Amino acid sequence: MQQIGKRQMSILIIVFLIGSTPLFELGIKAKQDAWIAMTLAAAAGLLLTVMYLRIHKRAPEAGLSELYMMHFGKWLGGAVGLLHACWFAYESMRNVRDVGELTSMALLTLTPKWIVMLLILLASAYTVSKGLEVFVRVGQLLFPIAAVSYALVLLLLLITGLPDIHHLRPVLENGFAPVWRAAFPDLLSFPFGQIVIMLVFWKYVAEKKEIGRITYWSQTGVSIFLIMMNVVIMSVLGPELASVSSLPLLEVVQLIRLANFLERLDVIVTLLLFIGLYVKMTALYMASVFSVNAVTGIAYRYCVMPIGLLIYGSSFLEPNNTYHIWIGLDITLKVVPLFQVALPLLMLLVGVRKKYKAKTKTS
Amino acid sequence: MNKQTQNALTPLSPSLHANVKAVRSRFGGSSDLVVRLFRSDAAPDRELAVVYVDGLVNASTINESIMEPLMGMALPEHAPRKGEKMIDALRGCVVSVGSVREVRTLDEALQGMADGLCLILADGSAAALTADANGGDQRAVTNPQTQTVIRGPQYGFVENIRTNISLVRRIIRSPNLHVQMHKIGRQTNSNVAVLYLHGVVDEGILKEVYRRLADIDIDGVLESGYIEEFIQDETFTLFPTLLNTERPDTVAAALLEGRVAVLVDGTPIALMAPTNFFTFFQSPEDFYQRYDIASFVRIIRYAAFIVSMLLPALYIAVTTYHQEMLPTTLLISLAAQREGIPFPGLIEALLMELTFEVLREAGLRMPRAIGPAISIVGALVLGQSAVQAGIVSAGMVIVVSFTAISNFVMPESNMAATSRILRFAFMLMAGMLGFFGIFISVLFMLIHMTSLRSFGVPYMSPMAPGPKKQGLWRDVFVRLPWWAVVLRPLDMKLRNPKRRPNGRKPAAQRHSDNP
Repeated sequence: MQQIGKRQMSILIIVFLIGSTPLFELGIKAKQDAWIAMTLAAAAGLLLTVMYLRIHKRAPEAGLSELYMMHFGKWLGGAVGLLHACWFAYESMRNVRDVGELTSMALLTLTPKWIVMLLILLASAYTVSKGLEVFVRVGQLLFPIAAVSYALVLLLLLITGLPDIHHLRPVLENGFAPVWRAAFPDLLSFPFGQIVIMLVFWKYVAEKKEIGRITYWSQTGVSIFLIMMNVVIMSVLGPELASVSSLPLLEVVQLIRLANFLERLDVIVTLLLFIGLYVKMTALYMASVFSVNAVTGIAYRYCVMPIGLLIYGSSFLEPNNTYHIWIGLDITLKVVPLFQVALPLLMLLVGVRKKYKAKTKTS
Repeated sequence: MNKQTQNALTPLSPSLHANVKAVRSRFGGSSDLVVRLFRSDAAPDRELAVVYVDGLVNASTINESIMEPLMGMALPEHAPRKGEKMIDALRGCVVSVGSVREVRTLDEALQGMADGLCLILADGSAAALTADANGGDQRAVTNPQTQTVIRGPQYGFVENIRTNISLVRRIIRSPNLHVQMHKIGRQTNSNVAVLYLHGVVDEGILKEVYRRLADIDIDGVLESGYIEEFIQDETFTLFPTLLNTERPDTVAAALLEGRVAVLVDGTPIALMAPTNFFTFFQSPEDFYQRYDIASFVRIIRYAAFIVSMLLPALYIAVTTYHQEMLPTTLLISLAAQREGIPFPGLIEALLMELTFEVLREAGLRMPRAIGPAISIVGALVLGQSAVQAGIVSAGMVIVVSFTAISNFVMPESNMAATSRILRFAFMLMAGMLGFFGIFISVLFMLIHMTSLRSFGVPYMSPMAPGPKKQGLWRDVFVRLPWWAVVLRPLDMKLRNPKRRPNGRKPAAQRHSDNP
C-alpha cells in the first residue's frame, strides 16, 4: 500500500485548506468583524477534527467508506460512502469551475473556459492516476513556492503601508449575533469543515501515532494564516469595498506599486491561487476515487477516467459566475453540514452504542 | 558470456594443425591473423604455435615475454613432455606474462584472441594457453573534453576500459573497490565493468544493476548510451535518470557516495546510478572550491536552468497576453520595437529558437577550419540583420541569446538537453494560453518528475519526498563546508551511510594572544 509521511500529511492539510480561500473575503456578512467570525469557525473546525480523529482511531487502517460500512452495515454504509464520494466529486467540480472563472476574469478574458478547465482537470487526472504518493510529492514541491509567494505579498503590502487598522473598527458594532450567523454554518463548512477529507487519507500515513498531533498543529497554523489573510484584505479594502468586490485579494494586490517596477502582481497571485485550487481539486477528486474504489471494488485505475469525466461534465451545469458563487457560498453551505457534521456525528454515536466491535472485523 | 558460445562449445583438438586450421577458418582467413609455427627446446619433438590478431596485441610483449622464452628456454628436467601436462609446464615455467589462462574450447580461444590475448598451442595437447599481451594503439590520457574544471584533476577517461578502471583505482586505493566485468553484445562482445565500493553500496541497488545488465540482448554496444537506454527506469521521459561523466574523480566521488558506476569499453563516458534530479546540478568543482562560492554558483545553475526552460515562454506570455505587468516605459519601448514585426510573438520566438538550434548543430558538425564562419553568420547576419530587416525584434534576440547562454551553464549536458526540448513545449503553451499555459505545463512537468525513480530512488528526493534523515539537505541547493556534510547524499539503504563520524568542525589550534 502507498504510504505518506507525517510531514507530507502536514503539507497536504495546509495547502488543501488554503486552496482558494484567500481569494474570497469570507464572513463578509459580519462586515468588519469577519475575522472574529473566521476565528470562531476555525475553533469549531478544530472541534470537528477532534471528532474525526476519534472516529479514525477506532480503525486506523480504514478509509472513510470503510468506516461508513463498518458503522452502518455493508449496504447502507456503502450507499452513504458512494453519496459522500459524489459529494467529493461535486466539491472538486467547484474548484475546476473556480479555475475556469478565475482565468477568464483575471488572465485570459477571451479564451473559452472549456479548454482551461479541461487542461487543469487533465493535470489533476494525471496526478490521481499516479497515486497518492506522487500527489503529496507534488504538494511538497508546490508548498515552498506558495509559502514564499504569500510571504512576499504580505511583506509588500506592509512595505507599501496599504493596510489600515481603522477599517477593522468598530469591533462588534452590532453585537455578537451577526458574527455568529456569519460563522455558522457558512464559515465552518467552507473552508474549515472540509478537513473531513482527511478521513480518507489518514489511513495512508505511516506514523499512525503522530497523526493527531500533526493534524492539530497544521490545522491551527493554517487557520491562523487564513484569519490573517482575512484581516489584511479587510484592512486594505474596508468592509464596503470588500463586500462588493468579486475577487478581493486580486484587488488588494493590484494596489501594490513599488519602485515603479513592481505593479500588477495580480497575475502572479492568480497563479498562486491556481496552486491551491489544483491541490484542493486533486485531493477531492482522489478522495472520490478512493471512496468509490473502496465501496464497489472497481479497480482504482478504472475509476479515474469516469469520475474525471463526471467532474468535467458537471462543471458546465452552472450558467455563469454569479450563479456559481451563489450556489457555492449559499446553497452548498447549507447541505455540507450533512457530510461534515451529521454523518460523522452519527458514526460516533452508533459506534458508542454498539460498543464498537469493528476492530475484530478489520483485523 | 553470450548465447552463441554457450550453445556451440567446440573442444580443441589434440592436433595442432587441426586447431590452427580451425582458428584460421573461423576468422575467415583474415589477413591480420598471425600464426607462428615453430619448434624449440622448450618442447623438443613437439611443434608449437603462437596465434594472435595483429594490432590488438603489444608486439614487444609477444616478442620478449612469449616468443623469446618459448624459443630460448628449455623445460626443466623433471617436467612432463607430453600432452596437456606439458602445456601446464609451459605455463608454470616458461611463459613470462602476468596473466596466462588455460583454455579447452575453440570458442574460448577465439574469444580470447578477439579480446587481444595471444594463443599458445602445442601439438598433442587438447588444451591451449591464452597469454595476456593486450596492447596496440590507443589514445593517451588527456584533459576531459566536455566537463572541464579550473581547480581539480585535469585528466579524463579514454576509450580503453582497463585504463579507465586503473584511473579510478588510483584515486580509491582500497581493496573495497570492487570491479565486476560483463560481456555484452552478441557481435561486439564489449566489456562492461560495474564498479562499486564494497561495504558502502546498497546491495539491493547493486543486484538491480546486475539484473538489468544481464537482461540486455543486443548485437553491439558501441557507447555507454546503449547501456543507458537499456537500464534506465523509464524510457518515455525527457529527464535523464543516470549520470554521465568522463572524469575519473567524478566516478570516484559517486562511488564514495554509494552509487554504482558502469564503465563501457570503447568510450570515455561512464554511467553512474542511482541519481536524483539535484545531482545534475553539481559540478565536480563544487567540491574542490570553497563552499561559499560553490554554493553561490550552484544557485546560479538552478536559476540558469529555469531561465533556459522558461524565459522565451515568459517573454511570449508577457508580450502577448499580460502586457499590463510591464512597467510603462519598458512596455512602450518593447511595443515600439515590435511595431514593424510581421509575426506574432510565438512565431517570432520559434523562428529565432530554431535558428539558434540550427546554428548550434552546425557549429558542432562543421570542420574546425571554417568554424569562425559560424559565429559571423550567426551573430551578424542572423542577429543584427534580422533586427534591422524588421523580421524579429531586438528584445527577442536578447531573450534568445540569454536563453542559449544559460543552457551552457548546466554541468551535465543531458540535463541541458532536457531543458532545450521542454523550452519548445513551454513556448507553445505560452503562445496559446499565456501564464496559464506555462502554469499547466510546469505542473505536468512536476507531476512527471515526482513520479520518476532512478533505481528505486525517488527522482525529486530529498525535496519530495523529504529527506528520511536530517542532514541530507546540506549538499542540495547549497554545499555546506565538508566537515558538516556527514551523510552520503541519497536516500538509499547504504551499509555505511555516514562519510565521517560526526558533524563537528575539527578544532582549530587556538592562537595565543601574546606577541
